[in-house]
Amino acid sequence: MEELKTITGNDLVQYIVIQIGEEQYGINIAYVENIVRMTHITRVPKVASYLKGVINLRGEVVPVMSLRLKMGLEDDEITKKSRIIILKLETHGTIGIIVDEVKEVITLDSEHIEKVTAEAGATQSNFVASVGKCGAGLISLLDLNVVVSENE
Amino acid sequence: MDVSQYLEIFLDETKEHLQNLNTQILDLEQDAENMDTINEIFRAAHSLKGMAGTMGYKRMQNLTHDMENVFSEVRNGTIKVQPNMIDILFQCLDALEEYVSSIQETSDEGTNDNEPLITALNEILNGKSAEAPKADAPKAEADAPKAESTSADKWREIKLTDTELDLYKAAKADNKNFYGVTVKIQESCILKAARAFLVFKAVEEHGEIIVSSPSTQDIEDEKFESDFSMIIVSGDSFDDIKKSILSVSEIESAEGATMTDADFSNVADAGKEETAVEAVKETKKEETKPATTEKAAPKAEKKGGKPVVNRTVRVDIEKLDVLMNLVSELIIAKNSLVSSSSTETGNRTSDFNEKIEYLESVTTNLHESVMKVRMVPIESVVNKFPRMIRDFQKTLGKKMELYMSGEETELDRTVVDEIGDPLMHLLRNAADHGLESAELRKERGKPEVGSIFLDAYQDGNNVVIEVRDDGNGIDTEKVKQKAIDRGTITPEQAENMTSKEIIDLLFLPSFSTAQKVSEISGRGVGLDVVKSKIEALSGEVEVKTKLGEGSTWIIRLPLTLAIIQALMVVVGDEKYAISLGSIQTIEDIPANEIKYVQAKEVIQLRGSVIPLIRLSDVLEVESTKSAEDNLIVVIVKKGDKLAGLVVDELIGQQEIVIKSLGKYISKCKIISGATILGDGEVALIVDANTLI
Repeated sequence: MEELKTITGNDLVQYIVIQIGEEQYGINIAYVENIVRMTHITRVPKVASYLKGVINLRGEVVPVMSLRLKMGLEDDEITKKSRIIILKLETHGTIGIIVDEVKEVITLDSEHIEKVTAEAGATQSNFVASVGKCGAGLISLLDLNVVVSENE
Repeated sequence: MDVSQYLEIFLDETKEHLQNLNTQILDLEQDAENMDTINEIFRAAHSLKGMAGTMGYKRMQNLTHDMENVFSEVRNGTIKVQPNMIDILFQCLDALEEYVSSIQETSDEGTNDNEPLITALNEILNGKSAEAPKADAPKAEADAPKAESTSADKWREIKLTDTELDLYKAAKADNKNFYGVTVKIQESCILKAARAFLVFKAVEEHGEIIVSSPSTQDIEDEKFESDFSMIIVSGDSFDDIKKSILSVSEIESAEGATMTDADFSNVADAGKEETAVEAVKETKKEETKPATTEKAAPKAEKKGGKPVVNRTVRVDIEKLDVLMNLVSELIIAKNSLVSSSSTETGNRTSDFNEKIEYLESVTTNLHESVMKVRMVPIESVVNKFPRMIRDFQKTLGKKMELYMSGEETELDRTVVDEIGDPLMHLLRNAADHGLESAELRKERGKPEVGSIFLDAYQDGNNVVIEVRDDGNGIDTEKVKQKAIDRGTITPEQAENMTSKEIIDLLFLPSFSTAQKVSEISGRGVGLDVVKSKIEALSGEVEVKTKLGEGSTWIIRLPLTLAIIQALMVVVGDEKYAISLGSIQTIEDIPANEIKYVQAKEVIQLRGSVIPLIRLSDVLEVESTKSAEDNLIVVIVKKGDKLAGLVVDELIGQQEIVIKSLGKYISKCKIISGATILGDGEVALIVDANTLI
């Protein structure tokens, strides 16, 4: 990352592009620890519905949440393309999120990222911190701390 | 010299020495004449001084130096131990602890010179003149003159036996001489053992070392202060030997003399004495026992009583954690091997089974050993309490005595580290709230001195620590009133509360019944912290109290936090683990035996009524059983309460590794953790305690 910075003079950040429903979202690669295939999820009783349960990640027990349910969409339909992205966040520790598909990794420099002001009341849009311009398309960049933080 | 890399060792050892000093000075207060204690104190103070000096902590060194001076005079018998001296010594220890904590935080000892303490110590030293001769006189009489030997001829203290006598005779015939030498090493010397080794080398060029004091092994291990003595046989003159000893650097002096027949005269006597005493137990002879045997006996005893330095290795706790994790992984791998072998039932040979069983026993042993490595006696925590109680006596003006038992009980290191504060709170409570004032105790016909007991013992897979006092006990009416005043409960609620429920109010945050806030307790930050700390360690705390007679606080802690034996059960289509520690029995109950009390399901079992808890309801799954089927009930116990957990199926007993669910799912109280099964699946651990 440091090297890239010196070359362009701009901050370059890599994002993993994921698909949920029809939309594409970007996740800052710095927070991504791992991407794993769908595995058996053990349900945990009496927790929020978007918390799917826990998985065994090479001997560690990691909680898994459904990004779809958290965003207020329909429950996940597990396909061959479904993946669990393991995130490591300072405030919440390690947590996995289920996504429909992992597309690619893109590099954006700060010029191509625009902040979005959150619309009041719309929780879903709060998840998106900024929008990245990548070629012709736009990619919503997720604010992971908001995504992962608990709400009822 | 860069000493930063030794800082941690220094801190560890200093703390150990300080703890040791605390204990020993307490002992000294009880038994001011005990030479062993005084010697031990002197040794600890001396090592402290040396360590502080090496690390360059001058202030700490100065203070310990003055303390050492006082101990040294006490040891020589020129100063008598006085109560005010003990107080000053304790203050010194506190000051030293301050230095240590400051070093720990900033790696600097701070700027406090503790002048008043040093002055006080010096006053003790100077004040000795009046009493000195008195103390000295009877001592000299009592001991044989030899005991008063100056450091220069310490070699005379070496116990001579027949072997040496024989050698002496042989040497004489051979025209060789026996020399006794005491070598003193400079105090500033760091590698004393190495110097001693060089001295030995130098001496061996001239002749042979017959015996040394302390033993060669002890000298190699640096188990001596600044001097050691030896007896040498050599054909050369003593001056030659002395010269070569002094050629070793950092040697302060080498004093000695040629030994004569007179030096061995006692040996012959002693030998005769011993056999005589053994053969015919004549009291008359015992009376006339010469000084040597008398001198020799306590000396030998002292050696035995000297705390043997443990052969230990200091290991970073993190390394142990890594090791523990690896063992956990191994157990998971073993479990998966076992489960995969049991699925392929067709081609299981007995040979394979044997090997699996062998592997199981090895991993179980390995786990146990690693657990043992992590276990430390609670001694390290409770050791500071006698001192604390002593301080309470002064601040509270109450007389009390602390009785401890089971200090050797071992607990996981992580638990021991955490248990100190809760115990301290409970002891404070006992001292401050529990015990009545001396007058009141007298009135009630109790001994004036209050007793506080701290007992620790192992009970199955748990360790129980009890803090008991013979004080006032908990006044439930007062607690109730207080709770109503504070609005915690309504008067109507109070009416219906059992005394146990009222006592539980004490564990609520910011609840203190002390009439006045004292320095020691009563700010209401105590018991709720105690409870939450202990629960965080998956333990529980319980109170038994009788008004006017005292109260007992019972802390129950699991032996280990990482790996437990568990019963695996099936509820719906999910697997759950229940800790074997909380399970009493497993029962098969026909559906028609279920009774209802207050619309709740109960069963009667061997005379007691046990409430039923259907795990399928609690865990929100569909039970696979129909209403008419027999129920499989796991009877669990918490304290003296029982409950029956209804499960669908039993799988069996298994050793499981507890994994945390992480902060994210901490909300779910009934699940205390998760474990990974042999097939890689995650199973949740049901915390039976929260269900009762």
